[in-house]
Amino acid sequence: MTNVADAAPGQAGAPKRTSVRGLLAATEIDLRLFGMLVALGAILLTFNILSGGKFFQPTNMITLAVQASGIAIISTGMVLVIVSRNIDLSVGSLVGVIAMTYALVMTDWMPNVLGIAPDFPFRWVIALGFGVLLGAMIGALQGFIIAYVGVPSFIVTLGGLLSIRGVVWYQSNGAAVVGLDPNFQLIGGGAQGSLGGTITWLLALVGCVAIIWLIINGRRQRRRFDFPVRPMWAEVLIGGVGCLAVLGVAAFANAALWPEGLANRIAFEQGWGPTPEGGWNIPTGIPLPIVLLLGVTLVMTWMATRRRFGRYVFAYGGNPDAAELAGINTRWTILKTYVVMGILCALAAAIAAARLNGATLDIGVSYELYVIAAAVVGGTSFAGGIGSIPGAVLGAFVMQSLAYGLSFMGVNSPGQNVVAGIVLIVAVGFDTFNRRRGS
Amino acid sequence: MSIKRLTAFTLSAVFVAAACSSGGSSSAPSAAASSASGADCTVGMSWNNFQQPRWAAHDKPNMQKTVEDAGGTFIDADANLSNEQQLTDVDTLISKGADVLILLAQDTQAILPAVQKAKDAGIPVVAYDRLIEDSSVLYVSFDNVAVGRAEAEAILAKVPTGNYVLIKGDPGDPNASTFLPKGWDDAGLAAKVASGDIVLLNGPDGTFTDAWATEKAQSNMEAIIDKAVADGTTIDAILAENDSTALGVVGALTAKSYGYPPLSGQDGDPANLTNVAQGKQYVDVWKNANELGKAAGAAALALCGGADMASLALPAGLIDAAVAPDVLTVTDFVTPGNNTMNSFILKPTPLTAENLQLAVDGNQISKEDLCKGVDPASAPAACQ
Repeated sequence: MTNVADAAPGQAGAPKRTSVRGLLAATEIDLRLFGMLVALGAILLTFNILSGGKFFQPTNMITLAVQASGIAIISTGMVLVIVSRNIDLSVGSLVGVIAMTYALVMTDWMPNVLGIAPDFPFRWVIALGFGVLLGAMIGALQGFIIAYVGVPSFIVTLGGLLSIRGVVWYQSNGAAVVGLDPNFQLIGGGAQGSLGGTITWLLALVGCVAIIWLIINGRRQRRRFDFPVRPMWAEVLIGGVGCLAVLGVAAFANAALWPEGLANRIAFEQGWGPTPEGGWNIPTGIPLPIVLLLGVTLVMTWMATRRRFGRYVFAYGGNPDAAELAGINTRWTILKTYVVMGILCALAAAIAAARLNGATLDIGVSYELYVIAAAVVGGTSFAGGIGSIPGAVLGAFVMQSLAYGLSFMGVNSPGQNVVAGIVLIVAVGFDTFNRRRGS
Repeated sequence: MSIKRLTAFTLSAVFVAAACSSGGSSSAPSAAASSASGADCTVGMSWNNFQQPRWAAHDKPNMQKTVEDAGGTFIDADANLSNEQQLTDVDTLISKGADVLILLAQDTQAILPAVQKAKDAGIPVVAYDRLIEDSSVLYVSFDNVAVGRAEAEAILAKVPTGNYVLIKGDPGDPNASTFLPKGWDDAGLAAKVASGDIVLLNGPDGTFTDAWATEKAQSNMEAIIDKAVADGTTIDAILAENDSTALGVVGALTAKSYGYPPLSGQDGDPANLTNVAQGKQYVDVWKNANELGKAAGAAALALCGGADMASLALPAGLIDAAVAPDVLTVTDFVTPGNNTMNSFILKPTPLTAENLQLAVDGNQISKEDLCKGVDPASAPAACQ
């Protein structure tokens, strides 16, 4: 990873150690993640140059992020599944069946069976509840068959891939179902499904404070237990860069404005008065699917690294026999990874259905491939025991930035697939090479 | 030849009288004499996959009614997507006494042994909706190039000049890469691009959509909108090849709050017809399967009566005037495998807000579903 290390910023004021590698080690930055960030930046920069500076615009980056959000959310769960030496091929079909359920709940069941009026404000909560419950149940069933009956996960979820997609057909006789609840549609993002300027800034400030608090708290804890602490310059650097990055993203997102037509229409409907000179200029801020992704990433990372469940998953993946002998209820742990997967699929399905304002027979098709690709590009190893949730999210963004960028440049889908496949192999190959050299 | 022609004509006359009961147009003297052939005729139909809702809702009832109204018998079998099962089904239909076979082939090549078997038994074969590569077969289908032509004609009439976006289907499907674009060009797209009246925003080939997937079409369209906004150009019209891609385009336009430039599609999917009623999609080219069923039923009965395939004509008034000329006659059809076949080719119907009532009348969608979420102030005629 020397090329990555060379690109590392800010070694100013370096005290005793002189090598770049040594300095990076002092900051305890995850080199893999850092390398992926650099790779992502390089991809975006390349597209920006190729498009003559038209690519790296706030609106475009928001589109890219929203398009990546569904895959990224599921990939956080796929990390746990792959780490525990299993696989889940059924995620695409699960997204399909849950998206169709959302659509049916809102267009058919609620008005016709449950008798809930169309203007009831919490229809989206009921729909989401249905979907999450369904996802968890299907996940639990698959997890049970894998963990307790002992059928290999590849087989169980391959069966799920086929049969659950078949169920989607029966739900609507193959027809698309459209016309969702307006509030539910906000989950899909768009100008109205975004936080807006003020809340985006507030969220960024909270994030900034949280970073600083985490650093201070971490340092205090390490002191208390006599753990080695990072040098002060590293702490300040990480806090400063982290804080600036969060605020920068917020500023960038707020530079995206509502489309003029929409702003004028809402202004007219709400009676805001005459259009000011130069248009309304309403900042969109961070879209809701990204907020959802952010929340999922935080919770999943916390579960994987700070909770017993997550530690058990990694322990089992590292050495199943040792984990079993250590008294871990491994079956229950495996089952739970699939329940988590089902819930994450329900969230991704909500984004997909909300974005489309409906569900089609083919929603979620081949998600399993993108999700697995995102997880392995993000450093999850099929040998088990190794994987990173933020890495998988970054992996999803790397893959989607290629797809979106090529699409933006007018490259057709066969070309996109060629590039995506090569990048997948190169990324994992590079990683394997590095690990071997490291060990 | 002339005698066969006469037989075909008189047969036709019978079917008009039987199926439409309007009966007035023809007064063939021998009608009564040849009506017996309809009564004796058993029409065997082999479906490749009856699970698709379309067959049960539209094709089969119309086909069956056409046959039974003329006094014939209708039997059918479903191969459930299996080539092998379809060969067995054809055997069964023949042994049940079918005098004529209508085949919706699972595969244009794999069906050939069954066709040969029918030929050996002296049973005429009709290829329904999907081509069979055999020049002895009568091909009854919609004109797929005309679908593309109808899409482009409607959009070009609405937006004669401006910036166009082309959204195509799966790159591996000849419909997506060849037939539909040929129809667009026939309607004048190529000429207008050459003359500079129309600018293609997303390249001369447009954007393909893997597996015709709605989500993929949506992601692609979002990138195209972003690009157009970044370039400072406007999208004036969008040619989408079918309804699943058009649905994705509408999703992208909505997510981007872009407004709804005229957009094409085909299939008459209920979700898209609702979008037409709401003004989110301009035209949906619809292949009226009811009429296709009637045409195949009538053609089978005529063949049953021993009519010469090359001079077959469907009875006047049987088929809706929107999809075929008054008396539909057999035309030559050159297949991709370079066989010249006899064929009945029907025209697709472009549905816009003005004539959505046709879809309701044809049982394609209920009025309630069509008009769901339509603003009463700007509702099309079919929703008032």
